[in-house]
Amino acid sequence: MTLRVIWRHTLMNVMNTIEYRGAFLIYMINVVAGPLVSLLVWLTVSEQGVRLPYDRSQFVTYYVLLSLVSMLTSTWAGGFLAQNIRLGSLSPMLLRPVTPLAGYIGNNLGEKIIKLPLLLPLIAFVALAFRDDLRLPADPLAWLLFGLALPMAAAIAFLLDIVLCSLAFWLDDVWGLLRVKALVGAFLAGQFVPLALFPPELSGFLEAQPFRYTLSFPLEVLTGHLSVAALARGFGWQVAYCVGLWACYRLEWRYGLRSYGAVGA
Amino acid sequence: MAAINATDLAKTYRFHRKEPGLFGSLKSLVRRQTLETRAVDGISFGIEAGEVVGFLGPNGAGKTTTLKMLCGLLYPSAGSATVLGHVPARREHAYLRQIALVMGNKNVLAWDIPAYETLLLMKEMYSIPTADFRRRVDELAAMLEVEQLLRVQVRKLSLGERMKMELFANLVHQPAVLFLDEPTIGLDVVSQQRVRDFLRTLNREQGTTILLTSHYMDDIEQLCPRVLVIDHGQLRFDGGLATLVEQATPHKLVSAVFFEPVTDAMLTNVLGDIERRASDDPLRVSLTVPRHEVAAVAGRLLGLGGVADLSIEEAPIDEIIRDMFSAQAVEAKPA
Repeated sequence: MTLRVIWRHTLMNVMNTIEYRGAFLIYMINVVAGPLVSLLVWLTVSEQGVRLPYDRSQFVTYYVLLSLVSMLTSTWAGGFLAQNIRLGSLSPMLLRPVTPLAGYIGNNLGEKIIKLPLLLPLIAFVALAFRDDLRLPADPLAWLLFGLALPMAAAIAFLLDIVLCSLAFWLDDVWGLLRVKALVGAFLAGQFVPLALFPPELSGFLEAQPFRYTLSFPLEVLTGHLSVAALARGFGWQVAYCVGLWACYRLEWRYGLRSYGAVGA
Repeated sequence: MAAINATDLAKTYRFHRKEPGLFGSLKSLVRRQTLETRAVDGISFGIEAGEVVGFLGPNGAGKTTTLKMLCGLLYPSAGSATVLGHVPARREHAYLRQIALVMGNKNVLAWDIPAYETLLLMKEMYSIPTADFRRRVDELAAMLEVEQLLRVQVRKLSLGERMKMELFANLVHQPAVLFLDEPTIGLDVVSQQRVRDFLRTLNREQGTTILLTSHYMDDIEQLCPRVLVIDHGQLRFDGGLATLVEQATPHKLVSAVFFEPVTDAMLTNVLGDIERRASDDPLRVSLTVPRHEVAAVAGRLLGLGGVADLSIEEAPIDEIIRDMFSAQAVEAKPA
């Protein structure tokens, strides 16, 4: 039943989002523009003769794929959740015999269904511009593992957002936290700089922190930089974060609903 | 067993007090004064299945807080409640399937798409079989007279149309208990009446138990044989509307229209110190008369001769309620 509700939410969000297709096209230009600027910066650095762990081709592949993966794993549900808690608009969702999370998941999926057709031509354009350096893996196993890592990355990003924004049950405002998370999270996820370029002393920390598994890890899986042991460890971390964050969410809601003021009316 | 049971139900809110201005804001950064307010203060009542009960009280009396506790949105600070044998705060799905809360100022409908899409969502949420869903949609659309509106974007609907569609979306799963918080707020008189007619039909045909709050006394008068009056979180009255009026106002309104103006001296002579109400019409005499003197005063007015019309009425209900809350005139009565 919950899956059918999520699907219905997804369809409704697609219909809703179509009303604002112009705004979404602009968002998508932004999604491609960020990685493109980073790519150009690193290509310039690379051409200055600086020794880096990535060559030109790896940079191009990483940043071209980054636009797609970051859109597919991104989430904005937390902001809506925090607002719904603060303004009391969570109440109608709490009165239904389905977890309120179904609505936020549907919102996320609906958004991606709309964004993908807008984003793909933009990525294709960039890929065409750098076609001589783009190296996509030919091994089907890499794509298979990528197909496994990607939904888990999206789940971790979503749950991180929900767990953070569920603090709105107790805090008046979580927007400050969200901003810090957006900045630190993007940095630690490899949005600006591939994690392989960080100092080796940080490798233990970078491997353990959750943001790696929302973006960088699926890219690392696809670009074939990981040993079998590193792959196994990475998937282990992904599963652990999915389970751990789900448990945090359940705990927060169990006690948070006691603090929920259901303001308004 | 009663459909709704509340025993010593209480809710205390905690909030911060902040002094006004920038200095107050800065001060609250370092030190916050936490205060408590008891929104609902130990109320007890029972409502039988199929009853329609009005919940009356001034703003901040605790009506909505009580409704929210009965729905499971708020955890009680003390006391207990059961609805249809369930403890609402547990929010079990088996319970949520049987209730609905309609708030006049909260929306469940998606704004940018037709209301029918929200109905389809409700169908999935409540696992309503397709044939049942179609039948219920047809029935509700006919009862609410909204057949033409189902496929119109919600944002294009008028306020009255939207309210009807909100009711529609909340009732498609056929709840056994319906909580209504200001269901006619902001509606014009025609729309208000249609919503009332609909609720009456719903109660009569489906036996839905209804607990409603409203500031429109017409809602209460037309729908609720029984009322609960709450003030400062405490239950002040539980009984029939007629009993409430009798208890709250020991007076009736007696009006006489004469063929010719009657002098003050004549009236004083006949009526003594009976309170006269202001009237712009020189032919009309309006009086506020103690209940036990109504028959005698009417007789004396008729005795003056030349009476074209005589009426004996209760004071307007909203006037009674307004007086009651402004003067806190109702004596506490065990519920």
